[in-house]
Amino acid sequence: MSRREVLRRAGNGAGLLGLATVLSDAGLIGGLARAAALDPMAPRPAHARPRARNVIWMFMNGGPSHVDTWDYKPELQRSHGKELAGFDKRTGFFTDSVGPLMRSPFAWARQGQSGTWVSDLFPHLSRHVDRMAFLHSCHTESNNHSPALFMINTGSTRMGFPCVGSWVTYGLGCEGRNLPSFMVMSDPLDRGLPKGHASNWGAGFLPGVYQGTWLRPKGEPIDNLRPPSGVDEAGRRAQLDLLAELGREHREASPVADELAARMESFELAHRMQSAAPEAFDLGREPEDVRRLYGLDQPHCRHVAGQCLMARRLVERGVRFVQIYSGGMENQRSWDGHEDIVGNHRGFARETDQPVAALIEDLARRGMLDETLVVWGGEFGRLPVSQKGSNPGRDHNPHAFTYWLAGGGVRGGVHHGATDELGHKAVQDKVSVNDLHATLLHLLGLDHERLVFRLNGRDFRLTDVAGDVVKAVVG
Amino acid sequence: MRGWMRSRTGWRWLALGAAWVACALPGEEPKPPADHVNWLGRATHKGVVTDADRAWWAFQPLARATPPAVRDEGWVRTPVDRFILAAMEARGVRPAPEAPARVLARRAALDVTGLPPSPEDVAAFERDPAADAWGRWVARLLASPAHGERWARHWLDVARFAESSGFEHDYDRPNAFHYRDFVIRAFNEDLPFDDFVRWQLAGDEHDAGNAMAMMATGFLGAGVFPTQITANEVERTRYDAMDDMLATTGTAFLGLTVGCARCHDHKFDPIPTRDYYRMLSTFTRTVRSEVDVDLDPEGDRRARAAHEAAGRPLAEALRRYEADVLPGKLDAWLASGGAARLPEPAWELMVPTGAQSKAGATLRPLGDGSFLAEGKNGDTDQYTFVARTTSREVRALRVEALAHPSMAKGGPGRADNGNIGLSRVRAWVRPASGGERKEVVFGGARATFEQNAGGLSVKSALDGERTTGWAVDPKFGEDHAAVFDLAEPVGFEGGTEWEVRLEFELNTRHNIGRPRLSLGREAGADPKAAVMPAAVASALAKARAGAALEAGERTALTAWWRVKDPGWTEAAARWEAHQKAAPKPSTTKVLACAEGYPAVRMHTQGGDFLEATHFLRRGSTEMKDGVATPGFLSVLLRGPEDRWAWRPPEGARHSGQRRSLAAWLTDVEAGAGQLAARVIVNRVWQQHFGTGLVATPNDFGTQGARPTHPALLDWLAAELVRGGWRLKPLHALILGSATYRQSSEADAAKREADPSNGLWSRWTPRRLEGEAIRDSMLAASGILDPAMYGRGTLDAGTRRRSVYLTVKRSQLVGDMVAFDAPEPLTSQARRPVTTVAPQALLLLNGPHVRAWAEALARRAGAPQAAGADVARRMYGLALGRAPTGREEAAALGYVSGRVSGSDDGPAGLRAWADVAQVIFGLNEFAYLE
Repeated sequence: MSRREVLRRAGNGAGLLGLATVLSDAGLIGGLARAAALDPMAPRPAHARPRARNVIWMFMNGGPSHVDTWDYKPELQRSHGKELAGFDKRTGFFTDSVGPLMRSPFAWARQGQSGTWVSDLFPHLSRHVDRMAFLHSCHTESNNHSPALFMINTGSTRMGFPCVGSWVTYGLGCEGRNLPSFMVMSDPLDRGLPKGHASNWGAGFLPGVYQGTWLRPKGEPIDNLRPPSGVDEAGRRAQLDLLAELGREHREASPVADELAARMESFELAHRMQSAAPEAFDLGREPEDVRRLYGLDQPHCRHVAGQCLMARRLVERGVRFVQIYSGGMENQRSWDGHEDIVGNHRGFARETDQPVAALIEDLARRGMLDETLVVWGGEFGRLPVSQKGSNPGRDHNPHAFTYWLAGGGVRGGVHHGATDELGHKAVQDKVSVNDLHATLLHLLGLDHERLVFRLNGRDFRLTDVAGDVVKAVVG
Repeated sequence: MRGWMRSRTGWRWLALGAAWVACALPGEEPKPPADHVNWLGRATHKGVVTDADRAWWAFQPLARATPPAVRDEGWVRTPVDRFILAAMEARGVRPAPEAPARVLARRAALDVTGLPPSPEDVAAFERDPAADAWGRWVARLLASPAHGERWARHWLDVARFAESSGFEHDYDRPNAFHYRDFVIRAFNEDLPFDDFVRWQLAGDEHDAGNAMAMMATGFLGAGVFPTQITANEVERTRYDAMDDMLATTGTAFLGLTVGCARCHDHKFDPIPTRDYYRMLSTFTRTVRSEVDVDLDPEGDRRARAAHEAAGRPLAEALRRYEADVLPGKLDAWLASGGAARLPEPAWELMVPTGAQSKAGATLRPLGDGSFLAEGKNGDTDQYTFVARTTSREVRALRVEALAHPSMAKGGPGRADNGNIGLSRVRAWVRPASGGERKEVVFGGARATFEQNAGGLSVKSALDGERTTGWAVDPKFGEDHAAVFDLAEPVGFEGGTEWEVRLEFELNTRHNIGRPRLSLGREAGADPKAAVMPAAVASALAKARAGAALEAGERTALTAWWRVKDPGWTEAAARWEAHQKAAPKPSTTKVLACAEGYPAVRMHTQGGDFLEATHFLRRGSTEMKDGVATPGFLSVLLRGPEDRWAWRPPEGARHSGQRRSLAAWLTDVEAGAGQLAARVIVNRVWQQHFGTGLVATPNDFGTQGARPTHPALLDWLAAELVRGGWRLKPLHALILGSATYRQSSEADAAKREADPSNGLWSRWTPRRLEGEAIRDSMLAASGILDPAMYGRGTLDAGTRRRSVYLTVKRSQLVGDMVAFDAPEPLTSQARRPVTTVAPQALLLLNGPHVRAWAEALARRAGAPQAAGADVARRMYGLALGRAPTGREEAAALGYVSGRVSGSDDGPAGLRAWADVAQVIFGLNEFAYLE
């Protein structure tokens, strides 16, 4: 059956968002691609029962230090000042600033029923450790920001592959039809975008509809949401009616009437989005106690508080995938603590601790946490050895870092995998980026080996040729 | 199985970035290679291509197809129709009736030029009864420069063209636009396609003096490249970059996924890993470089010659004046006592016998007493000048800091902003006859300009502080002078030996770029007063005393005095003006991707290329398996490889490897030319009809679609080659066909017999690309700026055609992305066509669209003209037809509902702009019908 025939038989009844008239390699596309061609944003059934419906990914940009946050290493405390035997100086970025082992400068304590060790960077998040599943043995394939960002976002260190959010939207469609399905927020304090910019939320070779919508931190968050000056609601309604009227004769005579009808319908949808989006973005509609819970009244964290609260509002309205970047580009502008790990991590932890904790709390109170997966982590970890300087820092570590997941069908209080006793490399139950991705997809009810897209004769997957679901963290 | 998967994960850890099993069949569980030993062993040397592999249709020589006989001869317009009709007749399908003339006029205009036809052209075409009316219309469209602009955009998708690097910083490639211009020009000038291929792969090796050929190499360099590369990543990054060149070459020209063979023999097509690395090694030394090219060497040579010829009489006139007239004038001046009437010169040039820079700059004398600092530009520096003078009463030292075009902003300093920072001036003197050396003590100081009255004043150059001194920001590009008065006059009987030292330690590289020293007889002398060379001063003194001048003295005096003679200054001015008007060579900087030029450097902890390309097992740089030498795809070899080998002349900067590759690629007899011809013919067909004869234009391998009409594809490919690989005749052949002229009418029987239109038994309407929609709005509104070529812009509001929108990878123009413009990362053969709300938002609320709608309303006569006329004119401009009665009534009804009575003011214009915007939103406006 040809694609065109599929469209014809599917008929015009759905009043759906739109149609893809041509998809790459038409006629050869698989079932999923064909469904996506019919209506790229229509909600689609998952491969299996989904635990999570939505994802909010708190991206700690720059690479937070696992040994200073969630991965307590008593041996590192004891080995302070010693050389790390056999260390390859090319592991980090600054090959000639390698110092000796450096203990975590933060105070550690056990938290929650699970007795999870947490550094004093996170007084608020500490209260939720029993809701979190920790992956302590993550590792990646680059020691450099941009390739590592691409790796964690797309599964490849090379530029140009689709992001997790794009794959998820491609696989599942969007439940709230009046808003984009995959939204990204970046640093609002003029510290820049993550390295690689929009490629971190690009659709790669997937159709452009699946790319993340970047919300501008200042001014209008989305292009073209506001009608031109002088156009009022009555005028716009009359204009849309005129559009339907002037398009009718042509459409009715056309052999591709369904396609044309869908295109006309997209104008109505745009019209609805025009009011739905500003409503979703309006934090003023939240009661004062909720605003305070997130820390909107706290100067040190109100920017992240606003983003977290907005994320909850978006998810509530059917947005599938939200990613929030903490920090801007690199060095002191993000978690990239090459210098002064104390000052750097204290600063970014203070910006995020209360808002992220509030997000978990708020989702739980509303009964949304079960279906919303909260993800916390960056593009790599940091080394247990110091990076020399007047205020020592830590350099990049691709061999070990910690992610935690909360909600969305995750088992709380679980610790999976481990690094060596110094936190230098993941050694036990190692979790590759492919494994992490496979696990995220699994929680969403998607089989990472069946979520494929064909391009130039090749079937591509988010997880390429690998990936095992980390069953231990699935509730 | 799990264990095996794990090990694969391990491999992949090493292979990094490769996607080898991604080539598995859809839904197929990735399988381990059948032959483990072979796989884990010398897999790279395993691949053997068999005759069975060569039997695949795409690798075969072009079939000598004869256009078949058909029953309905009357329908046939070009031989293309015979192939199409024969297949239809075999299945009992009738062609669709011909589309109406106005539909055809619009279809061809949008297809060939990407712009809607003017209502006048549509009307003229509709009225033209001549048999060749269609042919003339098509020829006119193909001759329009807009044709190249539209079709270049198609190719730029295939070439993954962009003007920035991607990755961390996404640095701009400010001279990458030349590649876009090359493609536009190539299509407009109908550059033969085999040259089009050759130049893109090896323009530098074909004709480095040809600007177009150099611009074409931008093809290889258009891919992404990291801007920050750690030591660990240097090797892998280079293999990735070469893979990008090879994979794009394979996909764009051969429709083969050569890149699939990076880690293992291609799973489906006969491309062994060995072939991959041999082809990859073609690019071993190929890097991105900024190269100066002469856009018009012949024109430059002619212009230079013409200019020289025009200047000869002027030079001759000046020479004759100097020889015949000037001596007499000087004599008369001297005789009249001119020398005696001159005031004493304020400044005497110091002519150093030595000038040295401590940091290692070269101080080159310019002939006017100044020195130009060149070469090494130390963070700090000290210039030392030594000279012998005869003056007895020196009361001031002048340090000039002169402008020069070689410096930033014209100087006078060598700092990044053109500033200077003279932190200290010191001088020593001693009698030439011998004696004690003494440091000169300075009193006051003055300057033509000083940056402030404090730490950057001229006086602070005397305070002994390294952190203060004379600076001149923001007066750049001007001559400056500082005068340092001596505390006591200096000068010895029998001559004085001077050493003057200028110190620049106040700020980084703030060294004076063109210093000149002179000595004054009076304290308080004007810093701006002209300098008089010592030889002139002594000649004047002699003349005043009535003594005869020697030849040398007379020459020096003449050179100084002649500017006072109007006759000489006029002749000299003419000559100088002519010199200044000398034609500049039309060189420009082009981003080329070639060999032997300095590479564009990134923040890399390693080299720009590797000395050799190795066979890599499983794509891993950790598992090298011998050095690969250039070669071709075995499955497309019907002759010995040396048939294509091209060796560059002795001493050439390039290897000839890419030129050899291009020779093989375009060789229809024994190489890959038959496939290259099929691939481009298919792309042309695809862009005219929406779908190719092969539905997978970037995959002619076994996983791709089979051609619907193989004989037609081969016949068209053979026609292309026979016609010297020119594309315009191919376009004309297709556009001239009855097949192209069909309407989209399809009754139930036809839809049943040919549901997917694989028989091409009707026209399939399709939405235009974002570029064409945007350009159509500008054209219909009459505000399209037709300026061609050159640097583009990121401003979506530009009125130039969309092909000139800069493609910056991190800032893709949202208006284009909304309409499915691809991310320029890998070769894209077909754009997806999605219909989503952001497109509608753009058309409803986009600020530019609104402005263009208003322009269309005005152009149609709103708000003053009669409503019916405005509606008709708008329809004509935008849709090439008149509105139906119902449509006209609806438009008029809308306007009268929005304004009270007949409003010819702003409200009326707004209402008509609403209507224009609605027309922009119509399917009919955005569809190729």
